[in-house]
Amino acid sequence: MSEIRLTVNGAKKAVNVDDDTPLVWVLRDSLSLTGTKFGCGVGFCGSCTILENGKAIRSCQVPASEANGRSFITIEGLSRDASHPCQRAWLDEDVAQCGFCQPGMILTACSLLKDHPDPTDAEIDAALADGVCRCGTYPRIRKAIRRAVGTMKTKKK
Amino acid sequence: MITSRRAFLKTAALGGASLVIAFDNKRLLGAGKEATPQFKPNGWISVNADGTVTLTIGKSEMGQGIRTSLAMILADELDADWSRIKLVQASPGPDFIQLDTGAVSSVASSWTMLRHAAAAARHMLISAGAARWKVDRATCSAANGEVIHSSSKRRLKYGALVADAAKLPLPEDPPLKNSNDFRIIGKPTKCIDGREIVTGAARYGIDTKIPGMLYASIERAPWRGAVPRRSQDAMALAVPSVRLIPCSIGIAVVADTTWAALKGRTALAVDWGDPPKDAFESEGHFKRLAQSAEQKGIITRKEDPPGGNSPTVRTIYATYFYPFYAHAPLETMNCVADVRDDRCIIWAPTQAPNALQEEVARFLSMPPEKVEVNVTLMGGGFGRRLAVDYALEAVEISRIAKAPVQVLWTRADDMRFGHFQAASAHRLSAGLNSKDAVVSWRHTKAGSPHNLNPAELAKPREGLHQDLSRGAYDIPYVIPSIETQYVTVDLPIRHGPWRSSFAASSVFAREAFLDEVARIRGIDPLTLRLEMLQGPDTVKIATLNVDRRRLRRVLEVVRDKSGWGETTSEARHGRGLACNVYNGETHLACVVDVAEDDAGKVRVQRVVAAVDCGLVINPAGVEEQVEGGILWGISSALGGEITFVKGMAQQSSYADYRVALMRDTPAIEVHIVPSEEKQPFGITEAAVPPIAPAIANAICAATGKRIRRLPIRSEELTKA
Repeated sequence: MSEIRLTVNGAKKAVNVDDDTPLVWVLRDSLSLTGTKFGCGVGFCGSCTILENGKAIRSCQVPASEANGRSFITIEGLSRDASHPCQRAWLDEDVAQCGFCQPGMILTACSLLKDHPDPTDAEIDAALADGVCRCGTYPRIRKAIRRAVGTMKTKKK
Repeated sequence: MITSRRAFLKTAALGGASLVIAFDNKRLLGAGKEATPQFKPNGWISVNADGTVTLTIGKSEMGQGIRTSLAMILADELDADWSRIKLVQASPGPDFIQLDTGAVSSVASSWTMLRHAAAAARHMLISAGAARWKVDRATCSAANGEVIHSSSKRRLKYGALVADAAKLPLPEDPPLKNSNDFRIIGKPTKCIDGREIVTGAARYGIDTKIPGMLYASIERAPWRGAVPRRSQDAMALAVPSVRLIPCSIGIAVVADTTWAALKGRTALAVDWGDPPKDAFESEGHFKRLAQSAEQKGIITRKEDPPGGNSPTVRTIYATYFYPFYAHAPLETMNCVADVRDDRCIIWAPTQAPNALQEEVARFLSMPPEKVEVNVTLMGGGFGRRLAVDYALEAVEISRIAKAPVQVLWTRADDMRFGHFQAASAHRLSAGLNSKDAVVSWRHTKAGSPHNLNPAELAKPREGLHQDLSRGAYDIPYVIPSIETQYVTVDLPIRHGPWRSSFAASSVFAREAFLDEVARIRGIDPLTLRLEMLQGPDTVKIATLNVDRRRLRRVLEVVRDKSGWGETTSEARHGRGLACNVYNGETHLACVVDVAEDDAGKVRVQRVVAAVDCGLVINPAGVEEQVEGGILWGISSALGGEITFVKGMAQQSSYADYRVALMRDTPAIEVHIVPSEEKQPFGITEAAVPPIAPAIANAICAATGKRIRRLPIRSEELTKA
């Protein structure tokens, strides 16, 4: 057990966990941030996706010891009132069915739009290549990303 | 059938005009001690003094949009203000004895009952308003959470009438709205839990956390009667907080955190020894299925023309195979149980709250009312969560540990130890007469009835074999001689409900085989279908109603919208179609465009679907469910299958059991065909069956290769 210090959604946190505890369990069990989901534990499905410096990372693949001193944003930190352009777009396109994978999908989309403010279909496919949605909401995820691109462009003007 | 007063009250509590009498008048003001009065005429509705309306949702949400649809039905019939609706999820109890969600249609089964419940409440609120104003009740109406007296332009909010309404007698047969007056039903309405989902606030089973809760990961015995030959207990116990709890299905590794439990389980490294010699192998099973499909089975439908059939000049034969599939929902199985001496509380993502309560009560030898079941949101269900195995595990371990316990399955557990969609083989033949018309049709399905509930297996019910060959025996086409049969093949592994259950395999075989017939005859497969749907417009097949007019209409819609019949000049591009009537209710047709690359990899480029699912509650929901059904169909056609070697499922992750991903997603068009039906039918399952055969038919159009076995393997396509 060691004390791990990290910043989550702008707040400084200290937890006592085993060094090898995957970050997904630190967030869920220790910090009660259950918006980050466990789906496979091997970095394949994307349910546990969070952001670091705007980049999507799979929290099941980061041991607590390596998370020490770093800063992350989870779905709870994107906005509490669903006002972020991606959250808005997800609501406007009515993307979610069961919704379980959607926090990961939304954060993956945020990361994509940071690098590619106007992504092509191929870039969308590549960014979301390994995100699993068993309900099959992919067509709406695509539409929502396009919609978010639109809102973000208008905002910049 | 109502057989006793008790049974009557139970039925009444579930709804219908009589629903209201099942609730004691004294309870109309809630518990009686509450400071703010509530008007609660029945179990589904509570109008609160602050103007909000609390609706109880009696079906489980797994992504099929049921919480939204049921709320829409209640709110519309109540004339409530949609922006002031709050939902609570029903728990099993005397008022709620039919919460189980699956099989056919949650919306259809709730429709009449909920409308009556809401209409009664609206009726009483209007009466209360009329009494307050001392006007004739017939001159008052309701809209958007208010009672209105239009001639005097007076309005009263529902919240202001709560105390008065609660004192009124319950109407026995409150009038229902005319469908022209629906304000919410039929309007595209967004998922009612959307905001919670996109902010991470939505709570699924896995998110349950209660004080003092322990976490368990179970090393399950890989076959019945297996005993560990070796295990490294000391290594496991070296992980802080880990305890080992042997239980009926294996060894539970219990700890203070999820990670400690998972780590302890890995460290335990159980060696289960050698599997029994007769352990199940799927390869051998497929041979048995193929042989069985050639045998005589139980006849599920038999029709011959009275004057004898016209002579058959040629007969076409083929055998089709459908594989084993897992459900693979994103949220793995989990459950929290808190077992005490005299009661038990459960938090479960379950499609079957009532069955769960009963089974847990039986397991604990407790009366069911001592078992409280809290139904959470589900990260996908697809039939997997109709089984209650994972809840019984949590209960057993909590009882031994004397603490609340969360059991969480890993992804590998979920792939290997759930129940499966059972494989089946289908032997079909079609006899053509001298004019090339199909005059006889034979379809024998060899498969296995669900084995999750042994009591059910022991007592075969009437219509069972028809249910098992759904999609085969209810073939909608006009053919003078039809004979369908079902052969039961023993299957020792756990298998049970899976999205669209028995229909998907039969419809795959039927619709692909019909495409073979069309090719051999050299006739357009859509023209052939329309031709074979001429005849009596409606036909009753066993208990199902097939409406050929509705089926023709959805076929015509996809024909017109997809540009069917336009020839493509591109090499290895093809277009195929299929259609189906699901459960005698929902009629759906789809056209699929595919392209094959050099490696034999098939990509679905576009799907155009048309659906008639009766009265539409939420058009947005219908579209979403059809899109989801299409992706599910793509997964089953082009994704993974489960295979068994030495009794064990060989797949353990999304890497070796592929499901459709973003890159597999085609352009999708969904057309909802206006229906004359006055009631809604299910869509979630209905959207699945025609997709895989349409893909197989498109591949044949593109490459000339006939797919008779799912999933489709690119190796097979590249074979000369």
